[in-house]
Parts: sequence; structure tokens; C-alpha cells
Amino acid sequence: MSDADLREASRERRLPGIVTEGGKRYIHVMRGMTLTPRRALLGLVALVLFVALPDVAMLFDSLPLLVVHRGVLFGLAAVGLNLLLRHTRLVSFGHAAFFGTGAYATAVLANHHGVMNVLPLLAAAALAGTLMAGIIGFLSLRHTGLYFSLLTLAFGQLLYAVAVGQEYFNYSDGLGVRSGDTYRPLLFGVEFGANEYSVLVYYLTVAIVLIALLVMWRIVNSPFGNALDAIGQNRTRARFIGIPVRKYVLAAFVVSGLYGAVAGGLYGLVQLHVQPTPTLYFLRSGDILFMAILGGFQTLVGPLVGGVVLVVLQNLGRDATSYFNALTGVVLIALVFGFPRGIVGSLKSGSRFRARLASLRDDPSVVGTWAGRAGDELRAGVRQAGRNLRVLIFGVK
Amino acid sequence: MMLEARNLSKSFGKLVATDDVTVEFGREDGEMVFIVGPNGAGKTTLVNLLTGMLDPDEGNVVLDGDDVTGLSPDERVHAGLVRSFQVVHVFEEMTVRENLRTAVLSERGRTRSAFSFSDEHEEVERTVDDLVDRFRLADQERVVADKLPHGDRKLLDVAMAFGLDPEYLLLDEPTAGVSAEETEYVIETITEVSETEGVTTVAIEHDMDIVTEYADRVVALHQGGILGQGDPSILETDAELRRVLLGVEE
Repeated sequence: MSDADLREASRERRLPGIVTEGGKRYIHVMRGMTLTPRRALLGLVALVLFVALPDVAMLFDSLPLLVVHRGVLFGLAAVGLNLLLRHTRLVSFGHAAFFGTGAYATAVLANHHGVMNVLPLLAAAALAGTLMAGIIGFLSLRHTGLYFSLLTLAFGQLLYAVAVGQEYFNYSDGLGVRSGDTYRPLLFGVEFGANEYSVLVYYLTVAIVLIALLVMWRIVNSPFGNALDAIGQNRTRARFIGIPVRKYVLAAFVVSGLYGAVAGGLYGLVQLHVQPTPTLYFLRSGDILFMAILGGFQTLVGPLVGGVVLVVLQNLGRDATSYFNALTGVVLIALVFGFPRGIVGSLKSGSRFRARLASLRDDPSVVGTWAGRAGDELRAGVRQAGRNLRVLIFGVK
Repeated sequence: MMLEARNLSKSFGKLVATDDVTVEFGREDGEMVFIVGPNGAGKTTLVNLLTGMLDPDEGNVVLDGDDVTGLSPDERVHAGLVRSFQVVHVFEEMTVRENLRTAVLSERGRTRSAFSFSDEHEEVERTVDDLVDRFRLADQERVVADKLPHGDRKLLDVAMAFGLDPEYLLLDEPTAGVSAEETEYVIETITEVSETEGVTTVAIEHDMDIVTEYADRVVALHQGGILGQGDPSILETDAELRRVLLGVEE
């Protein structure tokens, strides 16, 4: 059965179970989601791992729960960013702005206004980030392409400068996410110990991430998501079939920012201390973008996987070598050029992935070919960047 | 009920692309009007002004008595004014069916729905079925747009325009780049559907044989202004038109 057939068949049944179509078995999960057994198994394994992580993490000294948790949160922001990247084809270089806004919202409320409970802190993060996305989106989306990317970058750095420069945000030292009399925010009115708290907040994250993925899945398969695809593929035609392009792109931008803000809010609740550099600095935006591409930006869950992998890699690399930034860079270049569909994208097209792995086993020198191709693409990229720079400086092609 | 240009003017620097043009389309239901003129006569600019791709320096666009000069292209589409482009503009990574569905969803005002599945709207799917049949795209329904042969791409482009349920359809060179055998097929499909739907169709066309065969009325542009208009026989009788359009000195 083709993907389209599968989609059609998935509409009919309402109860989960096994469907047989054309002699093959498929797993029906819910309306609109019917999977091949392989994908269903993969999804199940991922889900079990995700839920059991606090127990798994205990088995490995080098893999603290906090690190993976942080990866999941940046991954959630990348899932939001991906709505723009995959569908409207806009590259935002400033998504840390919303992550940081969410994180700072929890810190400011706890610190300056004595809010002690997790849920209102999180709601404030979501609200602040949504507002910020509305403002930045409104101002940036008057442009497309490179100018849009640069504007998002500029607004992101503006927020960073404000956080670093203001006493209210305690400069570059940042703010703790606690009010005067408690060590950490209260969950359902109770102050838990450090370990219980971190596990409970992790499960809050799990619940939110699952809901966020489900919501995103519905959005990208809806007429609205379809309109975003249309805008991404041909903006002019989209306008001339009656789609209010700017309004829709702004809506997508705000949703995307909301995901980042919720992730940032949870980050504040997990870290219990919010500083400008880990949350607002432009390299953070680059990381979030990289996570989406690393995990596979043509997929729904890819950015989440990319987030976990990148953060864990960075963390392991930091222990292994002082050149850890170079190390992760090398791994990423290999992945991006060897497996351009990203981790999840490669798994999805399993045969291509296996072919690549096989050719690597047969003849490791294939890496050289990949590197050569990477070099070509890099050169083309640099040439393009030069052209763009000329356009920016001299205003001509 | 008419689509009117009232004293439309548009300049690009010193070049006057549209010079005080006043013209009406849709004097009768389902009228088929061809805009002709040499290169640079301002044909595409006029279509751009009518559809909101460009804002005029002066003058108004009036749709069924309402001034729509201030409306954006997407608002004009929902008011019944639809266009296609000289170069095929489709959603290249979508299949034929998905392309048509996207247009019909927009026409039905369904694109705001963010939580239904895009292919579960029954009445939209039925309209798409109908379009697929009418434009004879059934065999290609699941083919991705950028894998289609050129003639079918052009048909898909026009079919999407019809999927928007237009009252006025403006086609910028519907036969451009289409092979000689396919040209007739494309233009016949267009006239056939226009007639049955009662859509006023305005097409820019260079091929005078097509114009003479299919036009109810011809509007000739030259240097941004209107050189003449009338039924297609003026292409045979008007000496000035023949000189400018065909280079015939008599």
C-alpha cells in the first residue's frame, strides 16, 4: 500500500488494532494514523524509552537525566521551529528568543513576584513567548528569505543584550527560579525534594511533549497546514488562490514561538536558574536549527530526536576532549552530508540508510567521496554567502 | 455585472506600461475576450493591475460595481477574480490531486481549519473529483506536479484556477510553451469549461488563429493604451491593427 492509500484507509477505522490490507498487516493507532509494523515497533520502543528514561539514566553515570531532559526541551523548541522550516520554508535564526523569553518569564515571576507554583509559571512562559513571537513575527515577516533570517537573528540578539544589560534580569549571572521561601517551585502545592522534583518535572515534560507532538501532527495534516505547505512551495500562487499569506505565516510563526516558549518555561523549571548565554545567545538559535536538520526536518519527531542527540553529544564530548565543539562539528558534518535526511528521515527510508551503511562497511574510503561532495556543497554555500553579502552591502547582485 | 478598468495608469520609471486604460470585461455572460498586442504593449501589466499583483498609479478596478482597487490579491480571489500566470505556477511537490484540493479548500474558506484532516472534507473531495474529470487529469491524479508533462502542468494550473469558482478568469498566455498538438486541447478545454460555467474569461494570446477561432471579443493594446476593440473580424478589417499586430502594410 502506498502512503496515500494508507492515509485513506486510516480514516475509516476508529478503534485501534491490526488491519489487513492487500495481504499485509498494518497497525491502526488512531484515526488518521495507520502504521507499518516496523514503524509501529520503532514508535513503541521510542515511547517506552522516553517514559522509562529516569530509570535508564540511573544505569549510566555519564548520562544524567538533566542532560537528556535539556535535550528533549531544546528538541521541543526545534519541533516548533520546524513548522516554519518544513512547511513555510522560512529559516528562523532567532528561535532562542522564544525559548529565552519562556525561561525568563518563569524566573522573573518566581524571583520578582513570588509566584511559587509550576503551572502558573509555565502558563506565564507560554503567554510571554506567544506575545514575543507575535511582535517579532509581525516585524520580521514583512521580509522573506535572507532578510527574514537576519531580522530574526537581530531580534534574538536584541533580547540577549537586554537580558545581559539590565539589573532587573541580574545581568549575565541571570536569575534563580525560586521565590524567597522555597528551594524550588511547588508542584500541585507541594514542595518536593530535589530528586523527586526533577523526575516529576520530567514527566510533566513527557506529557507536554506528547500533547505537543499530537497537536503538531494534526496541524500539519490539516487544511491550514496544507496552506502553509502551499505558501512554502509557491508563495505567489498561494496568494492567487486566495490564501492570506502574511496572516497565515504569522500564525505559524506564533505557534512555532509558543512551542519554543513552553520548552523554555520547562527549562527554567528544570534548571532552576536562567542565564542569558544558554537560553538567549544566537548560538542557541543555531543549535535549535541544527537539531531540526540533524534529526530530520522532513519529519515530525526528527527535531526532537535531534535535540536529544545534539545535547547528549555535546555533553559527552565535553568530558572527552577540550575540542568538544570541533568533535560534535565533525559528527554533524558527517551526518548532514552522509545522511542528509537526518536521523529519523534516514530511518524512515530504511533501505537508503542501509545502503549507505553497507557502502561504508564495504569501503570506508566512501567517506572521502562524501567529504568531497560536502566540500563542493560548502564551496557553493560560501559563494552564495558572498553573493548575499554583496547584495546586503552594495544592494546589487 | 462586469469587471472594469477605469482610467488605469501604471509607470515603471519613465516607461508608461499602462496608459489611461478604460475597458470592460463580461458584457455578456461567459464572454471570451482575448487581449492582443505586440511585446511590451502592457498586456501583462494590465492583468497584474486588475488582479492586484500591482497597484495602479491612477485609476480604479471595479468588480460588479464595487471598487476593489484597495483589495489584496487573495481578497480579490474570494470576490471571484482569479488569474493564472504565463509561467506555470503550481505547488511542485504536491500531487495533482493535492494541488486541486489546496485550491478548493481555499475557495470554500476551509484553510482556517487547523485540526481537521485536509482530505476528509467530503464536498471538497467531490469538487476535486469533478475537476479531475473535467480537465482529463484522472490518470495523473497521484503524480507529483513537477513530474508532469508540460501540457498537463498547464492544464493543472488552469484547473486550479477553475477550482476557485471564478466569475472572471484572467489567463496570461494559457498556451505559452505548450506544444502545437497540445495547444488546441488546452484552449478547447478552457473554452468548454468557461462556457458551461458561464465564466467570463480574459486571455492574453499571441496566436492570431486561436484568437480568430475562439474569441467573442478582441481588445488590442499598443504602447500601454487601447488601440482598438471589437469582434475578431477587426483583425481582418482594421488597417491600423493589422499594421501594428501583424506588420502588414496595406
